[in-house]
Amino acid sequence: MNLAEGVQIVSFGILAAAVLISALGVVLLKNVVYSAFLLGGSFISMAGLYFLLNADFVAAAQVLVYVGAINVLILFAIMLVNKQEEYVVVKGAGVRQVATALVCLGLFALLGTMVVSTPWAISSVAPAGDGSIVTIGIHFFTDFLLPFELVSVLLLIALVGAIVLARREFVPENLSPSGEDEALMLPERPREMVSSRDDK
Amino acid sequence: MNPGIDLQGTFIESLQGFGIPAGAAKAIWMPLPMLIVLVGSTVAVLIAVWMERKVSAAAQQRIGPEYIGPLGILAPLADGLKLVFKEDIIPAKADKWLFTFGPMIVVIPVFLSFLIVPFGENLLISDVGMGVFLWIALSSVVPIGLLMSGYASNNKYSLLGGLRATAQSLAYEIPLALAVMAIAMMSNSLSTVDIVQHQSGYGLLGWNVWRQPVGFIIFFIAALAECERTPFDLPEAEEELVAGYQTEYSGMKFALFYLGSYVNLTLSALLVSILYLGGWEAPIPVGLISSTFNISDATPWLQVVTGAIGIVMTLLKTYALVFFIVLIRWTIPRVRIDQLLNLGWKFLLPVALANLLATAGLKLTFPAFFGG
Amino acid sequence: MLKFLKQVGDYTKEVVQSAKYIGQGLSVTFDHMRRRPVTVQYPYEKLIPSERFRGRIHYEFDKCISCEVCVRVCPINLPVVDWEFNKTTKKKDLKHYSIDFGVCIFCGNCVEYCPTNCLSMTEEYELAVYERHELNYDSVALGRLPYKVTDDPMVTPMREFAYLPQGVMHPHDLPAGSRRAGKTPQEIVAETQAAQAKVSAISEGSSKG
Repeated sequence: MNLAEGVQIVSFGILAAAVLISALGVVLLKNVVYSAFLLGGSFISMAGLYFLLNADFVAAAQVLVYVGAINVLILFAIMLVNKQEEYVVVKGAGVRQVATALVCLGLFALLGTMVVSTPWAISSVAPAGDGSIVTIGIHFFTDFLLPFELVSVLLLIALVGAIVLARREFVPENLSPSGEDEALMLPERPREMVSSRDDK
Repeated sequence: MNPGIDLQGTFIESLQGFGIPAGAAKAIWMPLPMLIVLVGSTVAVLIAVWMERKVSAAAQQRIGPEYIGPLGILAPLADGLKLVFKEDIIPAKADKWLFTFGPMIVVIPVFLSFLIVPFGENLLISDVGMGVFLWIALSSVVPIGLLMSGYASNNKYSLLGGLRATAQSLAYEIPLALAVMAIAMMSNSLSTVDIVQHQSGYGLLGWNVWRQPVGFIIFFIAALAECERTPFDLPEAEEELVAGYQTEYSGMKFALFYLGSYVNLTLSALLVSILYLGGWEAPIPVGLISSTFNISDATPWLQVVTGAIGIVMTLLKTYALVFFIVLIRWTIPRVRIDQLLNLGWKFLLPVALANLLATAGLKLTFPAFFGG
Repeated sequence: MLKFLKQVGDYTKEVVQSAKYIGQGLSVTFDHMRRRPVTVQYPYEKLIPSERFRGRIHYEFDKCISCEVCVRVCPINLPVVDWEFNKTTKKKDLKHYSIDFGVCIFCGNCVEYCPTNCLSMTEEYELAVYERHELNYDSVALGRLPYKVTDDPMVTPMREFAYLPQGVMHPHDLPAGSRRAGKTPQEIVAETQAAQAKVSAISEGSSKG
């Protein structure tokens, strides 16, 4: 075993352990913020595994999309939720947890046996390495064109949906008719109505 | 393409000459470039801090650091030493673990990004195929650290600062990436080396600024926002948020934030100079001068001179940009958060998209000028 | 469509204009870089305090008659006058006098009202100490001769802005004997006295004639 292989095996071990531990942490920890941060750790370790497999682009995309965008959005959502709620232990929590654990273990066993029993067709082609971006691009615009375009349509729909949700068609008028509250309010210029089309 | 000086090969060979086996020699070599870059970037940060203080002083008609070393050049070092010896305080009811991890997560990706910064054709740690993309991916990790430290500080200012920092860097990452995409489209590669080489050969005239003026401005503004420099330093707006996510930090952890922000500044300036200002290329190409004097490219001393000129050119451009950024800091007042997001989403993003489209069109029409 | 184009055009115009303004601002900042620093390099250079500067209060023990006027005019009754009535001389024997400069607001009322002029203002303003009780000056500390910036060989004394010749902005390298802009207080006094003398001479002349 030469130096490079040793380094690879050691880093694989570290990364795999990091993925497993942080994923378990996501599920088992009570504090939801910890779970969210550990999710990021798990994503980053996955990116490290992709790096080990010579898939630079996928690794970087993983970091950019999952860690930089999705995980940050999850954290954002958690931290912007402005609801105080007491932690109440659900009745029969033990039974539920055991049931969940059983289902999860069953799924894990199923997947495990599937992984072990499947005769994997390991490709002998050398990994694309630095040229992988070009290969991915070619695939996107030839044999995977339809899924690619469909995904972009999906994203467009999500975008439109977000805009519709975020956009207020009207601003409610002053809710309190009595003059007392007006003294407490800051002088603000009257807001213009936002409408979808030009009025004139 | 000439291979240049093979530092690695020479080093390993000389070690083997001392009777060290090849594997061990390689293992000794491996950490060296990283160490050099780590130390080099720290020194670069010290210089940037010194420059910031000196230029700020000059813009305000002060003198600035003057007595710590010649012209106060050792002042940032003294700052750093002071921070190292300060007490490390973890506030009551703060989340100890997240509080400690936050600054690390902020600093590590920034230092990692130096992986792709070339100071010459062969003077970089690794010529990764996706070069700039790696930098964008790594810089998107930073907001997590900011959120973490903001949340863990048990302080409303910290939390608000962290949230603002995250919103800001999410918003400005997109125009940044789009501006980089236009460059990548022109040079047919994401690798920083290829991007610089695409600008080489014509000296000053070949630089990407002339072909991508809009992209340059977008990238510069977005990089300013990513570094949280004025006019986009909302996350640490003193008047509103004390010091944002850094409020509760002291000692070494604060030093990490400080270091991180200045490394980020230097890194952004470096990348602007690489992507748009020709990187290590001199305004008059060195190859042109050497060929007029009939000196072969393979001459060892010429290669050393070229390498030195490359490093000097990169640093010159970088620090000129840092100077400009400091000048901007004392010129433009801070924007409001809604103005910031408006600028990001409603101005930079559409303009960046239009720029990308225009670049694609121009590339198809004039492949000679915009990369075939 | 035309309206949309017009909107885009207006927006572009605004963008260009704001870019122009930012450029103007940058040029102003850049211009500042070549100007001389306006700061005073404090321990090495010091400004000469003006004539009416209200610094540390000087006190002469021997002149004091323990009348306590200073205490009465003081906004917070700060000076401590410790005296005892001497029955034989039928006068107050002053034992101690002290002012706490940690509390004093340097309003100068005591100096103004002191009937024997034993209190006076100095130019001293460097009162920093390690502990606040050290600021409580007794009669000995109050009686120390004040420090003068112009006498200190370590310090380059600098004139304040109002004491510079007309049109000069920096106190560095002034020619020797250069005069401040406008009239000095002595000149104003001399002039008013001369004018009054003239007026009184005329009025005397008119009353005679």
